[in-house]
Amino acid sequence: MNKLPLLKVEDLQIEFHDHSLPETAVYDFDLTLMKGEIVGIVGESGAGKSLSALAIAGLLKRHSAIRAGRILFDDLDLSNCSREVLREYQGDEIAVIFQEPMSSLNPVKRVGEQVEESLRIHHREIDRKERKERAIRALESVGLKESARVYESYPHELSGGMRQRAMIAAAMIAEPQILIADEPTTALDVTVQAQILALLKQINREKGTTVLFISHDLRVIRQLCSRVLVMKDGRVVEEGDTERIFEHPREEYTRSLIRAIPQVKQKEPAPPREREILAVSHLDAGYGKRSVKKNAATGKILTDVSFVLKEGEILGLAGESGSGKSTLARTILGLLKPMAGTITRKDFRPAMVFQDPYGSLNPAYPVRWILEEAYTGGGRIRRGSPTEIREKIIDALARVELPESFLERKPAELSGGQRQRVAIAEALIADPNVLIADEPVSALDVTVQSQILKLLADLRDKTGVSILFISHDLSVIHSLCERVLIMKKGQIVEAGEVDAVYRDPEHPYTKELLAAAGLYHM
Amino acid sequence: MIGRFMQRILKNLEKSGMFRAGFFITLFVFLFVLAGAMYTPWSPTTMDEGARLAGFSARHLLGTDHLGRDILSRLLTGAGTTLFIATGTVLIGALCGSTIGAACGYFGGVLDEIVMRIIDALFAFPSILLALVFVSLFGSGRYHVIAALGIAFVPSFARTVRGEFLTEKNRDYVTKARLQGISDLRIMFLHILPNTGDVMLSSVLIGFNNAVLAEAGLSFLGIGVQPPDASLGRMLSESQQYLFRAPMTALLPGILLVLMILGFSLMGEGVRSHE
Repeated sequence: MNKLPLLKVEDLQIEFHDHSLPETAVYDFDLTLMKGEIVGIVGESGAGKSLSALAIAGLLKRHSAIRAGRILFDDLDLSNCSREVLREYQGDEIAVIFQEPMSSLNPVKRVGEQVEESLRIHHREIDRKERKERAIRALESVGLKESARVYESYPHELSGGMRQRAMIAAAMIAEPQILIADEPTTALDVTVQAQILALLKQINREKGTTVLFISHDLRVIRQLCSRVLVMKDGRVVEEGDTERIFEHPREEYTRSLIRAIPQVKQKEPAPPREREILAVSHLDAGYGKRSVKKNAATGKILTDVSFVLKEGEILGLAGESGSGKSTLARTILGLLKPMAGTITRKDFRPAMVFQDPYGSLNPAYPVRWILEEAYTGGGRIRRGSPTEIREKIIDALARVELPESFLERKPAELSGGQRQRVAIAEALIADPNVLIADEPVSALDVTVQSQILKLLADLRDKTGVSILFISHDLSVIHSLCERVLIMKKGQIVEAGEVDAVYRDPEHPYTKELLAAAGLYHM
Repeated sequence: MIGRFMQRILKNLEKSGMFRAGFFITLFVFLFVLAGAMYTPWSPTTMDEGARLAGFSARHLLGTDHLGRDILSRLLTGAGTTLFIATGTVLIGALCGSTIGAACGYFGGVLDEIVMRIIDALFAFPSILLALVFVSLFGSGRYHVIAALGIAFVPSFARTVRGEFLTEKNRDYVTKARLQGISDLRIMFLHILPNTGDVMLSSVLIGFNNAVLAEAGLSFLGIGVQPPDASLGRMLSESQQYLFRAPMTALLPGILLVLMILGFSLMGEGVRSHE
């Protein structure tokens, strides 16, 4: 690798012009990108990592602007040049791919048109025929089979992984020197994520493209990057070679991030559990023939699902998006009628925690109202005097380690982690014996994630509640659960003790999932 | 609920210049109407025989109309009548419309299909035409006008609220409330309705607008408020014959009408624009 500096960012400061946000978003950001390296920026949401990267690409949106500093590329200061000059570089020398492949492709234009767009803008000399050929070649080079067909299709006809590949093809077609990737794999399933990372590595190796990779996920950064910047609250707190950072982190914050990565350790054997609370046998379920989803002939999503949930156990349900995990949860809760099979519920008092704490708390009301409503079932259940109810609510907040001062706050005034705590308090306040948690930590930052996982384990120990823990993240499942069910296309393909399944997976799909999460070597 | 509505109004006042402008215009109109309810220099129906179509004078500040009635007094009470009818109309439309829309959006299914098709059919007629039919069936007069326009306004509210409920009912907090065994009625009105606040506020404001216009239209056509009562539409209609001899008799109620509508629509726009 030749060590030529390609891009230099000096003392970059970014400010917000919106009153509701802090004035300065990024302080004194320094970065030198060498030709052909992959540099990662890691940090939790709001750390300023995306803003810094967007500033480099000249893509800061309204409400934010560069206050000071220089971005040097090709002897030119990109932070201080006209839009016309900047446009020469965007897409041609510096390309960006974003997190959400659905919204970053235009739904009404064919994929091919969008892939060749930067050629059409920057290289007028190339005629239509050659443009199309090059677009098809670009699609091929990102591993899309039948690239001619993909060229003609619309974004909705492609899967998430294919869309992200097409985005990469569009970014790479003009052979830019720098590729900025802003959380490009966060919205994807683990197996697809692994493929995209491999693709980025390959592009870097073959074309010598410099990659600036932004992620909240340290595991991904470690797999891909040679150098990493750790950001917190708008500042770079630590910078260095990836291995050095992981082996000998200097800053406390970096250490806490690394600690928050779920570790796969040998678990203590769980105590024997006797009483079955829920038994599902040979269950088929789905949304019927009217549904556009899944198997159109029968409208079935789940086929022949059987398992039991015992008192006090934490059972993991793993699988990728679309595998039927949430449908299973809805069927167990009785929100969806089974098409065949039986669900035996013995003294089954369930409560649910949802993935998105922004949507699962009513935004119009304060925490006190939300908890009271859950406790009294909307006034349906008599629960004693107002003071008794109030005490119970304060008690429920205390259990999720929130102070009394949160009572009158509304969801909008809480952070993601605090909301999820309120949601858990809400779920537990009516003394359920089963908690169904549907991806409860996947919308949260890593440090918050580990706090919530610990809280769930503690609550189980204290209250003896059984938990059905649904997640796509196998390391999270390992750190929390005793047994695990692996689900694929509506069927449970493997089940057993977590340790045994992870050590010695039988089904090829389990192996693939574990390998993609870096927990198993094929 | 009222408190929350007030909070929302304050928030909008702070955030949107357009809303602020509209709010102060409307405030002026309200104060004008309030003053008219307490005091008018003349009785709005007294005819001053000697001073027909008189100009501005100390005796009649804003002049008189073709029957010698004091225009200022008629404006003061007429604006009140118009505002009263508009308020009643919006109240009926919003209450019935939101209830129907909420039920259709929340329950969906056959009920939704049937009711919404009826609403669609009603929606196909201009509201003034519907009101015309109702008035010719049940007679004119201010309470009949309120009832007629109120019914004509139901479809638009029903549609808006239904749309809001359709998106809100699939959110996790609603699913959760159902799991907690909370009754459907309570979920509809206590859990979901407050979250449609901004949309409700803007459609109430825009509804107000249309109601003011519709009342003026009906009265202008002579089937709204009946003589000798004053309303802005009535005054416009009576003055059209004398447009050239005494333009102020038409201009003044016209200006007041414009102010009324401008105030509400600026507020409505203001609410919508910063959402």
